[in-house]
Amino acid sequence: MKINLVLIVILAFFYISAVDVPQTCNSESFADECVPKLTTGFNFLKSYKIDGTAKDKVEYSYVFTKGTQYFINLCNSGAATDGIVVNIFDKERNKVASNKISGQYVSAISFPCNATGIYYIQYTFDEPSGHCGGSAMGFKR
Amino acid sequence: MRISIVTLIFILLFSCSAEKKTEDKEFLESLENNASASGVDEQLINSILNQIPSPLEISVILKHTGSVFNSAMLNSTDNASKYNTNFKKAINLGIYGTDLGYTNIFGQSQQGIKYITTIKSLANDLNIGQFFDVETIARLASNSKNLDSLLLITTQNFNSINHYLQSQGRDNLSVLLLTGGWLEAMQITCQTAAKKPTKELFDTIGEQKIILEQILLLFSFYENDANMASISEDLKLLKTAYEKVVINYTYKESTMEIVNGVAVIKDNSSTTIDITPDNVKEIQDLVNTIRNKIIN
Repeated sequence: MKINLVLIVILAFFYISAVDVPQTCNSESFADECVPKLTTGFNFLKSYKIDGTAKDKVEYSYVFTKGTQYFINLCNSGAATDGIVVNIFDKERNKVASNKISGQYVSAISFPCNATGIYYIQYTFDEPSGHCGGSAMGFKR
Repeated sequence: MRISIVTLIFILLFSCSAEKKTEDKEFLESLENNASASGVDEQLINSILNQIPSPLEISVILKHTGSVFNSAMLNSTDNASKYNTNFKKAINLGIYGTDLGYTNIFGQSQQGIKYITTIKSLANDLNIGQFFDVETIARLASNSKNLDSLLLITTQNFNSINHYLQSQGRDNLSVLLLTGGWLEAMQITCQTAAKKPTKELFDTIGEQKIILEQILLLFSFYENDANMASISEDLKLLKTAYEKVVINYTYKESTMEIVNGVAVIKDNSSTTIDITPDNVKEIQDLVNTIRNKIIN
């Protein structure tokens, strides 16, 4: 009886380990890592945590100013962007910028803004494994 | 019976001492408790707070327009001793933050050290002084070649404060910092435009209509706080002046290409700002009035 109980406890432990343990994402360290990687000449503005372990998109908003050039980069553990897509939408939700062009992913966007307004910076995930990263944004005039 | 009387006296004593809380202490408590107590959607507030541009962007625009540094436009650090309530300390911390960015952008780093010392002192009083490393900032300010690092570290300090306050549910303090910072940037821009009117400066002032709308949205969450309601009323007057300013937006699909591993965008959309010198004058006068109430 005692052996059966021990066996049940061990099996339950393995089951929980295999099924229920949530993925951890240290998005803050990726965001911090991205700050010094901003291209020279850009002043740091914001760093963004991209933790998509429990959701299919992460979104921030920011008021961009006409005549200012913004630079947004991506940092994650894998090669390239690991399927992390960053799209920028205007206030009417029209796509105005993306790091995925003709199926190719790049880890930075240079966006010279020509229309002042609220923009949405949205991170989505094309790969099931790459749901964690960080990003930083800088500006120059 | 004697025990009951003693108990009653104790209760009375405690209730009296509770009533004698200073206005300042009550405000600090309201700063710390109001957001969660009133059921404010903290996620929504944080999202709005994070979309407001850094006042540093305006300082860079001013430098770009060829305007010259003018310390007379800034809030004197001597005024800091007058700020004896936490409300005043919080909103003027934002004002001094913008003054620090402006002095740094214009290479007046030694003057910037005075601001960082004042900022540190106000931040200490608000229990957020741990985010300012005065020694490191002073060291960076001593050499003009360190400007990028100086701007980086001061921006990071203010970002850390805002993240900390938001994580602690003290969003209202963040709102005051941000409002002070924005008002000071407005005031500097308006004064610069008054001396040297250019289309770029007029447009910058006009574009602030978008930011003002977001700030007023933030204040709408704190209508029960008398101090914040008072600023909100002033900002609503400014909003009325801004109703005469029109921002026209035209969307046109962007073009994108990859250059050296970077997605380089050509933004084909555009905005135009309809703003007259009279509109600017009205906005400038209102901004001055509001700011004078805050700094004096």
